[in-house]
Parts: sequence; C-alpha cells; structure tokens
Amino acid sequence: MRRRFWLRTYLVTLLLFLVCLYAGLFSLAFFTYGRSVENTENACLAEERYLARSFERDLFDMEEAENGTSPKLLMQSYAQNYEKQRVSLAFFEEDREVFSSFAATPALPENGTISQIKEDGERWILISGEIGEGRYRLLYGRYAGDLDAEFTSLMLTYAAVASGVSLFLAVFLLFLLKRLSLPLEKLRVTTERIAAGDMTVAAEEKGKDEFAALGKSFNQMVEKVRAQMEELADDAERKQALVDNMAHEMRTPLTSIRGFAEYIEKAAVPEEERRDAALRIVSETDRLKRISEKLLDTAFLRENKIEKETVDLAALLGDTVRRLSPLAGEHKTALRVLPGAGSAQGDPTLLSMLLYNLTENAIKACRPGGEVVLFADENRVSVSDNGKGMTKEQLAHVTEPFYRTDKSRSRAEGGAGLGLALCRQIVLSHGAELTFDSQPERGTTVTVVFPEQEGQP
Amino acid sequence: MARILIVEDEIQINDLMMKNLRLVGHECTQLYDGAEAALRAQTEHFDLILLDVMLPGLSGFDVIGELRGTKTPVIFVTAKNALPDRLKGLQLGADDYIVKPFEILELVQRVDTVLRRAGGPRRSFSFDDVTVDFDSRRVTKGGKEVEMTPKEYDLLEALIINRNLALSREQLIYLVWSRDFDGENRTVDTHVRRLRKKLGLEDRLKTVFKTGYRLEV
Repeated sequence: MRRRFWLRTYLVTLLLFLVCLYAGLFSLAFFTYGRSVENTENACLAEERYLARSFERDLFDMEEAENGTSPKLLMQSYAQNYEKQRVSLAFFEEDREVFSSFAATPALPENGTISQIKEDGERWILISGEIGEGRYRLLYGRYAGDLDAEFTSLMLTYAAVASGVSLFLAVFLLFLLKRLSLPLEKLRVTTERIAAGDMTVAAEEKGKDEFAALGKSFNQMVEKVRAQMEELADDAERKQALVDNMAHEMRTPLTSIRGFAEYIEKAAVPEEERRDAALRIVSETDRLKRISEKLLDTAFLRENKIEKETVDLAALLGDTVRRLSPLAGEHKTALRVLPGAGSAQGDPTLLSMLLYNLTENAIKACRPGGEVVLFADENRVSVSDNGKGMTKEQLAHVTEPFYRTDKSRSRAEGGAGLGLALCRQIVLSHGAELTFDSQPERGTTVTVVFPEQEGQP
Repeated sequence: MARILIVEDEIQINDLMMKNLRLVGHECTQLYDGAEAALRAQTEHFDLILLDVMLPGLSGFDVIGELRGTKTPVIFVTAKNALPDRLKGLQLGADDYIVKPFEILELVQRVDTVLRRAGGPRRSFSFDDVTVDFDSRRVTKGGKEVEMTPKEYDLLEALIINRNLALSREQLIYLVWSRDFDGENRTVDTHVRRLRKKLGLEDRLKTVFKTGYRLEV
C-alpha cells in the first residue's frame, strides 16, 4: 500500500520506454526490409531489361546467320549462365513455352510488371518482357528467399539488442527511482515517529530541491505543533496547580468546621467550650466564604470586559488611604500619599479594589512603626513599604492564586492568598503592567503602569 | 497519659487536635512552625509528635529528618491523600499518617495505636475506686478483682481510650467486635448494661441522645 506510488511510477515509465523502444526498432526493421526489397526489385528490372535486349540481339543475329541454332538452345545457355545467381528464365513464342529453367513455370504475369509469388514456401520476384515486337516473351524470375532470411536475422539482432537495453533500463530505473524517492521515504519514517508521539525528530533539510523545501516546511509545522502542545501542557499544569491549591485551601477550613461540629456533638465539655467551638465554626465558614468570593471575582474578571472611564489617580489614592487608615492604625503603620497627579482609563470600582489590595498587603508586610507610601504620576501608581520584603523565589510566585510568602502570618491575618492573583487579573484586564521591586528586610515597591492615553505624550 | 507535641500552622486545626487529645487524657504542647518544632523536640521529651507536612520554617519532611536521633514516634497530618506524600512520610520514618479532614475517633485511635506500639511506661487507668490494667487486662473495684468476659473488657477499654467522647454503637462494634460483625446494636446495649452493673458506672457511663455512649471521667 505504502509503496504503490513508487511502484506505479516505475512500471509506467518502464512500460512506456519498452513500447517506444520496440516500436522504434521494429519500424526500423520493416523500413530497412522494404528498402532492401525495392532495391532488389530495381536491380532485377535492370537485369531483365539488359538480358532481354541481349537476347533479342542474339536472336536477331541467329536468324541472320541461319546456322540452325534454335532460340531454345540460346535460352538454355543464358539460363545456365544465370543459374548461379539463382535466376530462372522461361521463353515463350506466341504464348507457347519454348524453354523454362523454372522447376515449375509460374503463370505469366502481365507484360512489363514486377510481381512476387510464393512457390513451395519460396519467394520469387517475377518480371516478364516482350521481345521482337510481341512475338516472343521472356519470363525472368529471381529467388528472393535470401531477403526473408536477412529480415529474420535483422529482427533477431534487434530483439536481442532491445532485450539487453530493456534489462539494463529496468535495473537502472529501479535504482534511479529508489534514489529519487529516498527523501520521501525518510520523510515518511519521520512522520511515523512523530505520529507515535516522538516530537524530537526532524526531517532532512539538506539540498535545494523540493524535498528540502518540503522538509523545511514540515519541520516548521512540527515545531509549531510542539510549541502548541507545550503551551497546552503548561496551561493544564497551571490549572491543575490552581485546582490543587484550591482543594487544599478549602480543605483546611472544612477540616476545622467538621472537627469542631463533631466536638460539640461528642465531647463532654462545659457550655463555654461548646460556644467556643461554635464560634470557630462561624469564623471558618466566613473564611470559606471569602475564598469563594475572591475566586468568583477572579473568574468574573477573566471572562468579562470592563467599562473604562477616566479615573483621577490622586483621588483614588486618597480614597484608598481613607479606607485603610483603621487597619494601618491597628498595625501602628504610617500611611501617606506623596503629592503627584495622574489619570488612567479604567473601571473605578476595579481600580479601587486593586489599590486597596496592594495597600493592604503593604501594611501587613510592615512591622510596627513601618511606613507605606502611595504615589501617583502621569499614568502610573506605586505602593511602597519598608516591611519584610520578598526573595526572588517568592517574587516569582507572588501573583499565583493561593500563594503566600509567609503561610502562618497571612493566615492569621485572614488572607486567602488570592489578593495578588486578583490584582494581577485587574491589571491585565486594563492592559496595564504590574511590577514588583523587592528586597528582603528592605521592603517592597509595587508599580502599576497604565497604557499611555491618546492625546498625551 | 502521654506528652504529645502538635505541630500544625493552622491554628484552628491545631486547637482541634489539642482539645480532643486533652479530653482523652493526653498532655499537649502546641507549635506552629517547623524550625521551632525541630528545636523543641530535640531538647524536650515527648511521647509522640503530630506533624503537619506543609509548615512555615521547615517542612514536616525536613523536621522528621532532624529528629532521626530522638526515636520519638511521629504521625504525619497531611492535607493530601496522594500516595507519594504518604509513602515519603512513611519512608522517612513516620509511624503513621492522618489525612485532613479526619474524624476525631480516627485521630484518637491512631494516636493510641502508635503509643501502644512504642511501648513506654506502664499503662493503666483509674477512676473512682476502679482500676484498669491494660497490659494484664485486669479490672479491680475497691481492691477486689472483677470478673469480665473478653468483650466486656474490650468495650471498657475502648470507652476509656475515647473517654469524654461519645461513641456511636456502630463505632463501638467496629472497635470491640469486628468490622464484619453482623449482630445487632442491641448487643452493645447489653454489654453496656452489664458494665454499668459490674462496676457501678451508672453516673459515669452515660447514654448520649441520638449518638451512643460516653464514659465521663
């Protein structure tokens, strides 16, 4: 099945060649034979003319001399002369046969024409001519069997040559086609390996022919497919990690809720203890609720287009500071806005949520006595703190859902580890850029750069 | 009965384990950080360590590596039921593992099993004038030995291990008889009645509405 094209090409080419070869050779053979017969006939005609004239003269001389020699004897001597050349002669007087050296005298053909007869499987060329104003007739016959023999031997020679050439061609063509189809075969093997899942193989690109071009295109295609597959795998891995994290995050409060419910049900403890357990159940339920809300926010942002309007960034910062002052007070952290002005295109509610989250994180990163500074300038806002900072490794994961740089701390703060993932989603949906600049024990600066607006430098 | 170190960064879950283990008579120390736990466990004696895997500071796997010299039994508390995690824990020398979310009964039972396997001090339990010796399976009341069938003794022991916690009839059947016991719940009731009579436990061994029985001491 898979070698059908190759085989078909081979057979068709071979057949075409053989037909041409044999047709050519045999046409040539027939042409040569025809020419050879014609030449012989012409030679016979000339000989007969000569012979007839000579005979006529001799006959005339003989009648003049009246020496008694009969035309029959004269003819006999002629015939003896020509016997070696395999020419037979017959002489007629008034349509009566006077002499014949033929084995069996054939019927007289028409006067002055050339004809051929077959006598006992032997070919003869016959010519008849008039002598002496139609009184006598001469029949000239030449044996032409040698022409047939010549033709047969010619045909045999040609057939032998043609067979030799055919055989050579068949073998040569086989190797030629095999060689020519080699790149195709290699490509097939490569394709099969790729189909079996091995994406590391590549097709040959050597040379400048169509196969090299095909190999090149093929490799580009494989590369594209491989990149796509990797992307899909990465995507799946990220999603799996998210699901794993989520399962873990949900499982922790669920464990507490289940455990304390069971405790209330089973334990022989005072009323106070039971109330404490019930309160824990309530607080863990709230935590689950927060996680699910943030997840919904993240999902909402991912799937919906936002409506943009011009937002005054300085006013946004002022509002954020107002809302977070109580928290900053609890943490004994100073919270202030540097003078500056800027604006951005965006959804005010989402941007407010973004700044709130970033600032809340900054406050929580600070130790008592720390400071959080907010700054707006043209199309950017930044939130800086002088808190505990993050290592490079932590920075790399910081916007992943459920990631916490310090598990125990932010759990105690009631965070779900979704804040920065949400921030990232908001920033992405505004086409803005989120950058972190952080050093352990020195602090962190988070900067959001919005895309430049039309009409502004 | 035993000194147990609980290392778990989730405060609620840490408290949950502490409260239940305290109810059944253990003395608990609570820690929330891996590095601190490794330090404390090397300087102080504990009969058992309950160790979370995902911890700040040092991970549970790292902590158990630090503790190789102490021979203190360790039970891993993991959020993942994944086989590789469980195997890794056991390979590192953990004695058992508990997967969150767990049932209280499971926690108490596994802790008891590991403690029992680890041997340790003489184990007996006394309340009022009743003394139960776990090793010789003998029960005395007011200094006089009380005759008991093996099942009656097993039931008493299960109730003591899970004291102050209510056990359902199904749980008691599972613990005392066997998991393929096809008798009726009334078998449990009969045995409980006999225990109450023999040891005078009418005020201690209580029937809990809709749940089962609880030994309150």
